[in-house]
Formats: sequence, C-alpha cells, structure tokens
Amino acid sequence: MAVPVSQMYTVASYVLSKKLKGIKRYPLVLMLEPLFRCNLACAGCGKIQYPDHILDKRLTPEQCWAAAEECGAPIVAVPGGEPLIHPEIGRIVEGLVAQKRYLYVCTNAILLERKLKEFKPSQYLTFSVHMDGLKNEHDLAVCRDGVYEVAVKAIKEALRLGHRVTTNTTLFDDANPDRVRQFFDEMMALGVEGMMISPGYSYQKAPDKQHFLKKAKTQELFSKILSRPKGSWKFNQSPLFLDFLMGKKEYQCTPWGNPTYNVFGWQKPCYLLQEGYAKSFRELLETTEWEDYGTSRNEKCAECMVHCGYEPSAVSDTFGTVSGFVRTAKLTMIPTSR
Amino acid sequence: MTDTKVHDSSVSGSPEGRVFRPASEAELAQAVERALDYRGDVTLELTSGELVVGYLFNRQTKGAALSIEFFAEDSPAPRVIPCSTIASIAFTGEDTASGKSWEAWASKKESERRADAQRVEEDARARGLL
Repeated sequence: MAVPVSQMYTVASYVLSKKLKGIKRYPLVLMLEPLFRCNLACAGCGKIQYPDHILDKRLTPEQCWAAAEECGAPIVAVPGGEPLIHPEIGRIVEGLVAQKRYLYVCTNAILLERKLKEFKPSQYLTFSVHMDGLKNEHDLAVCRDGVYEVAVKAIKEALRLGHRVTTNTTLFDDANPDRVRQFFDEMMALGVEGMMISPGYSYQKAPDKQHFLKKAKTQELFSKILSRPKGSWKFNQSPLFLDFLMGKKEYQCTPWGNPTYNVFGWQKPCYLLQEGYAKSFRELLETTEWEDYGTSRNEKCAECMVHCGYEPSAVSDTFGTVSGFVRTAKLTMIPTSR
Repeated sequence: MTDTKVHDSSVSGSPEGRVFRPASEAELAQAVERALDYRGDVTLELTSGELVVGYLFNRQTKGAALSIEFFAEDSPAPRVIPCSTIASIAFTGEDTASGKSWEAWASKKESERRADAQRVEEDARARGLL
C-alpha cells in the first residue's frame, strides 16, 4: 500500500466522525502556501504570476501553525512557489509535525539535497517531488534542462536518509500514455512510496460542447494510462479519484475539501481560482458562495478535473456509500483488478 | 466608463497601460473586478489626491462599505481602501500573466522558449535561489 496504515486510519476516522456528526463541509487537506517565489518558471504556472514585492512576501511559521490548527485538516500540503526557498521551512515543518498532521512538502527538489539536513525523518513528513514525466518531458515542462536528474538524485538521497518520498505529476492532453507508463515504472524503481497524478487545469471561454470534448479527451488519456495497471505502481491517491479521471465515475467538485491559505488569507473558492480572500477559515466556509462553483455551475470549472477539488469528493464517496467503500477496498488490496 | 488611455478597443486581453476613471458605481465595480483579476501592480488615485501603487488582491462587496484590500509596494501590511475614495485605477505595473499560459508557451518556437528559460534561470541565480 502506498499510504501507511496509520495515515489511512487517521483520515478514515476523521472523515467518519464528520459524517456521523452530519457535518457537510469539512476540510481534508490544507493547501498551505508559505510563499509564491519559485526557482523555476514552469510552463503555464499561475502561482508565480505576481509582482516582485508579492513574490517576496512570506508567511511566518506562527501563521502556518495557526492556519493548520484553525482549519483542522489531518493532512497539510505545502506547495508554493518553492517551499524550500522559505528561510524558515524547517521550523514550519517541525511545528506542523508536532501537531501530528500528515505533511506533504511539494518541491521541485532543486534545493532538496542541500536542505535535507534541516528535516528529521518522520511518519508525518513526506517530500512530494514534482515530476511531470521522463527526463525529456519533465525538463520541457519545467522549462529547464537538467532538473529531472537533479530531482532523481535528491529523491535517492532523501530515501537513503529514511524520508518518505512521493512524486506528483501534472499531465496535459498531449501526454504520451506509453511514456507516462514508462515514467511510472521508473519512479517506482527509484523506491518512492507512491505517485500522485492530476490533469492540468485549463480555463477558456468556449461553448459547452467544447468543454465536454476537452473533458472526454482527458478521460481518454487517463484511461489509456491507467488501464492494465502494473502491480508495482502505487498511487498516493484515492482509487475512486483515478476512476473519476478515467471517466468511470462522475463527481461534483468539493472545493472546501482542500482549502488554501497564503499571504493574502484564505482563498475563495479553491486552490486554483482566486475570487477573494477571507480573514478566517470560518469566514471562508460561511461566506463563500459554494453553489456558484463546480461541474456545470461555472464556466471556469467546466474543464476542471484537478485533484484538489475532486479527490475530497472521492474520499467522501469511499466513506459515504457501501459501493464506494467496497470498490476502494478492492482496488487498494488488488490494484491490478481495475 | 471613461478609459483615458488611447487604445484599440477591438483588442481584448490585458489592461496593462490603461487608466480607468469610473463615472458611476457600476463602472467602479467593473474597474475593481478588472484590477482584482490583474496580475500586476495598479496605481490608485484617491479622491484626496494621494497616489498608491501596489497589488489589489481582495474586495468586499457586502456589508457597510464596498472596499478593497491592497498591498502597497512599499508597505508590508495590507491596507483597506474604501472604494468611494478611488478616483481612478491605472494598470501601471507589468502584467506578469500576459503571454504565460500553457497554450502561449506551447505555441512558442524552441529558440524563444530557451531564451525565456535562460532569463528565468539567470534571475533565480542572481537571487540565490539555485
């Protein structure tokens, strides 16, 4: 299994307790962005498109810890920008681990090997390394030659030191399914704990039919990639989310499932769209017009199948329906049965 | 709305370089939304005559007053500015999102991509980020 049993138990008991209490909107993963400054400019990345004085802003460790406590999500992802650029990332991580939250530091790994001495291996800490494919594809996507090799070296060193390591991969429609499958083989051969995949987000003003075609193309791509999965592949994701990517399941988005906190505050409505900010997590939940977002509710959401909105939907299905639970259990125990 | 910069109105896209002097509440709301979407600094001329340059990241549309939240380029703390005190909004800062979509990148020539990548790497190295 990709995810340790202790983590699965924590998430399961958290979600079940929310359902038993009848709580409809609850966070699963806090997307904590301590800065937007990056040492790459990956093609199409909107997270770094700010003036310099904004890119130079940093959340303090105290702000990060307070946000995690306020939100209460059992899992915290720390993307950016590049989080390892933050001068106090070691303290931020230490404090979140002390809260016993399962932390995923999302990094391009350029600085990872150098920074590993700042982190103690822990069941609560995972380095989620951004890898968009084999060497040619990855270096092209991040717009710099040599990054793939630097990342592989850093992954190996992190594993050698006893850290948990996963990969996270964004795929656009022009991805070659066979090359992606080969990439999965390489990553698992490195020894990573698991892989995370997601389609890229795109938004364009277009007629509904075009949105439908785009989604169908994304589902076709993921079907080709994920059908006939190999036993060696481990995905750090809900199997039902992978079903959704393949077009086997339909879900409505759960934007509150992965709330985002950064230097501007709590982002409305989700990790990808920026339509205002709340001062507190409670204000985010209570004042966001959630009904205005999601599949067939908003043109900006029309083509979106990204994990930050739909993975919480899949997790909710696992613990909300018998069929969801049974299928999750089956695919977790026998991934090749997909 | 009075857009005081001469421009080709048939061209949609980035408002970089444009100045909006709203003549009504509706025009003001429209200009504020435009500034909220804009990925660059704007210059606000207030009714007091003060000019503030910075990044507009939030607006309040419900409650007692319509206001915006703003990070001035020379101040660490955000500032709340009532919209009723905004005389004009000028899109003076560089639009950092212009031409940076995945589609725009995919349509570039290899030589252009390499030149862009070189510039980014040099900047990151100069900042000590590599």
